Parts: sequence; structure tokens; C-alpha cells
Amino acid sequence: MMKSVDVLNLDHVSKSFPATGQGGEPIQILEDVSLSIQRATSTAITGQSGSGKSTLLQISAGLLSADTGNIKFEGKDLPGMNDEQRSRLRSRSMGFIFQNSLLLDDFTALENVKISAMIAQSSEHVALKKALDMLKLVGLGDRLDHKSDQLSGGERQRVAIARALVNEPSVIFADEPTGSLDEHNAQLVEDLLFSLVEDREVALMLITHNLNFAGRCNLIYRLHNRHVEVRS
Amino acid sequence: MKQTLRGLLISRKFGYHGSKAAKKRILFNILLISLVVGALVFAQIFVVSMSRGIADKYALLGNGHLQVHGDGMDSPAFLSGVLDIQAVAQSYALIYSPQGNKMVKLKGVNDSYFNTLRLSQITMQTGNADTTSTLAKVTLSTTIADELQVAVGDRIALMLVSDEGIRPQLCVVGSLYDSGYKELDANLAFCDYELMDRLFKGEQDSYWEVLVDLSELDAVKAEYINEGYSVTTWDQENYTVSTNLNTSRQAVLGVMVVVAMLCGYFISELSRELVEDDKRQIAMLLLLGSRHKVIKSVYFYTVMLVTFVSVCVGTLLGLFLAANLSPLLSFIASKSFPALSYYLLDFSVVYPLTDILTIVLVLMAVSIVSVQISLRRVIRIDPISCTYFE
Repeated sequence: MMKSVDVLNLDHVSKSFPATGQGGEPIQILEDVSLSIQRATSTAITGQSGSGKSTLLQISAGLLSADTGNIKFEGKDLPGMNDEQRSRLRSRSMGFIFQNSLLLDDFTALENVKISAMIAQSSEHVALKKALDMLKLVGLGDRLDHKSDQLSGGERQRVAIARALVNEPSVIFADEPTGSLDEHNAQLVEDLLFSLVEDREVALMLITHNLNFAGRCNLIYRLHNRHVEVRS
Repeated sequence: MKQTLRGLLISRKFGYHGSKAAKKRILFNILLISLVVGALVFAQIFVVSMSRGIADKYALLGNGHLQVHGDGMDSPAFLSGVLDIQAVAQSYALIYSPQGNKMVKLKGVNDSYFNTLRLSQITMQTGNADTTSTLAKVTLSTTIADELQVAVGDRIALMLVSDEGIRPQLCVVGSLYDSGYKELDANLAFCDYELMDRLFKGEQDSYWEVLVDLSELDAVKAEYINEGYSVTTWDQENYTVSTNLNTSRQAVLGVMVVVAMLCGYFISELSRELVEDDKRQIAMLLLLGSRHKVIKSVYFYTVMLVTFVSVCVGTLLGLFLAANLSPLLSFIASKSFPALSYYLLDFSVVYPLTDILTIVLVLMAVSIVSVQISLRRVIRIDPISCTYFE
């Protein structure tokens, strides 16, 4: 077991969005939020719809800028990075899984995973090998040449998991990864995700409504009234 | 690594192992751009060939490539590059027939005047000429003959105009020619050099018409001037015609370049369309950590490859159409459409490579710039926007 170290640190982060109408007050989404995500631990963020869970994930991944506060990723100041540095960080140190698997339509399962490895600068040969290994690991060794529309929802989500893990990232950001799946497939994806995260000692930041799913994480934060509170 | 990734993404844009829709879109655009380029290339070849054809008619039948004057001097030397030298006398003449009259430029020429080079520019009809007649023979154009309503063998009267007065002469129509360019034919007739010499008692306006290999034209002209002759070129003698031809050619090239520019702009619309349709996919690649400049280069190379293929296909199409132009023109000429009667429809096709290259390069340059500008929209795509779709 690796020593627990902070991979991601949010310190007094606030975020508001401009009002839609003229002269309206900005809508405050997050206020003074502080949390840390550690290597080889899973952290769930729960809360009601519209409570700012996805916004928090996007700020944590550097996809959205915060109004105030500090964000450190692997000890480096995330808001201070330029586009190129953030792209490099996303390709090598972050993995993403969303409710809709977001695969590239014109590409096969194997190519979807391989492209992710190639973006992270792996040579084509290495990327192919990594992609093959990952797809076999998630049980899709017989679906390599199937395109997105030839895969079931559960299979697409397993491809997304393989793609998120192929570059051995520090953190997986998962936003409702089982939200669009039936109970059976949701359970399969949950089990797969936790087993791979534990085996590979990757940090997991999980956004979910599902308290049972959240309950399997090491740490649960609840977003309520723009603030975050530790539940367990 | 970037190259391999770029290659994979570009090949998929072209529909390789990709969707039928992508293939259809690319093929449709290649077809559209090829047709525009083909039309531009064909039109430019047509205009330049026709201009060159008209210039050739004027040079070979009107004045020669060089018109050499030298009072009391011998015939100019047959220098390297010279193809033919003919002594020519010229005057203006009124031609009378029972049905009408016509003022023309009459050229007195020897039998050897209508050599292979000149005969290649005209169709000569000798018909059933009366070989027993002692009357002087003249060669009219079919255009003049139609206007005067005469045919080969008919008698006409000439009134030759000179500084010293008017000289009447009864003649017979010995033959008819047709150069295919009525503008020239309508005012040009030929008679024997001897007739002019006799009528004007050796005081006729005469000169030598010299045909030369055009690559040697300047050298031959300079040499004759050195020898003391007064020399003019066909375009100096026909300044208005020559200027009009050049201006028309430049104007048409200008229009072609503007159309090529518009086509280049249209190509940027293809890149805009591709990016708009692929927004979600682009956002997804950005989310995975791909750089904007890599994505931009994928679309840039895709569109430029489409452009390059289209330009090649279009140019070949234009050349193919132009190469098969003669039968079409001959067909149109044979139909004698009144609206086309003063257009030259019988000319050899020439390939203006510089003009074609100009059109192609302008199109490529405009499309490079406009596609680059159009692709700035890629920078505005937010990686997280891929989660907004569906």
C-alpha cells in the first residue's frame, strides 16, 4: 500500500455564475469549499441535483476556473497553468468517466482507448498494447473492433473505464458513471471501477446520487447550501 | 506520435473505416470544387486559345508576323527563324457586283502566298472557275461574297483607290476563302501582285510580309532594322485589335482569379461545417488532453487534402474538356448560329500554363488563409462541452 498523499487539494474555493437576466445577482454555486483527495483512496461527492457537484468536479479537474481559492494538483497550482500544461495534465494524470460514456463514434472500442494513450504521447505500438490489455482487463477482449453503436450501455461504460485508466492516471473523475445503466450493469461497472481503482492505487473522485454507491468509497462529502461537509 | 494520431484522425475524416456520411460529404465537396476548377481552367484555355487564334489569323492573312518596308531595297534576307517572305502590295478597293458594293482592303500577292502555313488558317473554294477568261482573278472571302451575292466565276468591278486617283478594273471571282473569323474576312480580299503593279504603274504601296518562328521574332526584327529596313510587328499594325485581345485576356483572367478566390472562401465553409458537426468529438479529444493545435491541424490537413485533390481533378477535367474542344467548336461553326457569326470558332487549342497555375495558386492560397481563419473556432470549443450534448 502506498503512503496516502494529497493528489488534489481544494482550499477555500468559491464559484458563482452570472445571472441570466439583466441586473440579477450572480448565482453562488460553491462557497468556501475545501477538500483533499488522496492517492489510493476513493472519495464520493453527494448532494441534491443542482447543488454544484459537477461544478466541483470540473473545477477540480481544471476544466472550469474558480472565482477564489487555491487548487493544487500533485502539488502544482492548477489555475496558474496555461492551456497546454492543463492538456498535458489531463492526458497523463487524469481519467474521466461520465454518465454517457462519451466514446468517439467513428472509432472502435480498441481505437477509443488507443487514442487516449496516443494523446498521452505513447507510441502507436505501445498505445495499442496498453489498449488491448486494458480492454481485456475490463472483459471486452471480444469487442475490440466494435464501434460505439455496436456496444451495449454497460459495455460502452467499460470502454470508458478502460480509456480513463489506460494512461495510469493519478485521479479518476467519475460523474454519475452508472446513472444511465440498469441495476445489473450498474453493479458490474461499480465493482469493476472499485476493483481497478484499488488494484492500481488510483484516487477516485466520484459524483453520485446513489448513496449505496457512495457508501463504498473511503470518504464521502456532501454538498449542501453551497458548502461541503464530511459525512464519513 | 502526433503525426500518427493526426494520420488516424484524418483518415477517419475521409471515411476510411469511417461512416458513409463522412465519405459522402468529402466526395460531394471534391466533386463541387473540381467542377468549379474544371470550369475555370476550361474557360481560361478557351479564351486564350481564341485570342491566339484571332492573332494568328491577323498575322498570317492580315500583315504577316513582320511587315518589312524598304523603298528601293532588295527583298530581306532569309534569316534563321524566318519561315516565309512574300512581296505584297496593298490598296483600298470598292467592289461592285450587280447586287451591291463593298469597300475592302485589297492585297496584291503572288501565287506562292497561299502556302501551307496560310492554307492551314483558311478553307479555300475554287469552285467551277472559268479558266478561259482573260479577266484578272480576285479571291474574296465567303463573307464578302455573301454580301455581294456573288460566287466563283461571277464578274465584279473593282475601283482601286490610290493617292493619284481611282483605277477601275473588271475582274472575275477566282476563288473564295473562309478563315472562320468574319471580322477579318469582311474586309479583306486578294488579287494578283501583277495586277496592282500594272494598275499603279509600279507606284503601289508595297512591302514584304515575313512569317517567322515566334521565338525568333525579336531577333529577326532587330537584324532587319540593322540592315536598314523599317519593320513593324503584326500587333503594331493592328494596335487596336491587339490591345483589345490582351485586355480581354487580362480581364477574363482577373474574373477567373476572383472566382478562384470565392472558391477558396467556399472551401473554408467546408472546414466550418466539419468543425460544427464534430464539436462534440473535438471537445471529447480536448478533454482527453489533445492540444488545440493538433485538432486544428487535423481539420486543416483534411480540408487542404480535399482542396488539393479537387484542384488536381478539376485541372485534369478542364484540360480534358479543352482537348476535346475542336469537335464541339466545329459542330457549332457548322450550324452557323447568327449570334456567333463574328466569333472565331475555328482555332487550335493552346494551354496557358502560367494562367492555369495562377488560378490554382490563388485558389490554394486563399483557401489556406480562409481555412486557418475559419479554424480559429476550434480554440473556442470548451472540453467540458462534450458532456452538454446528447
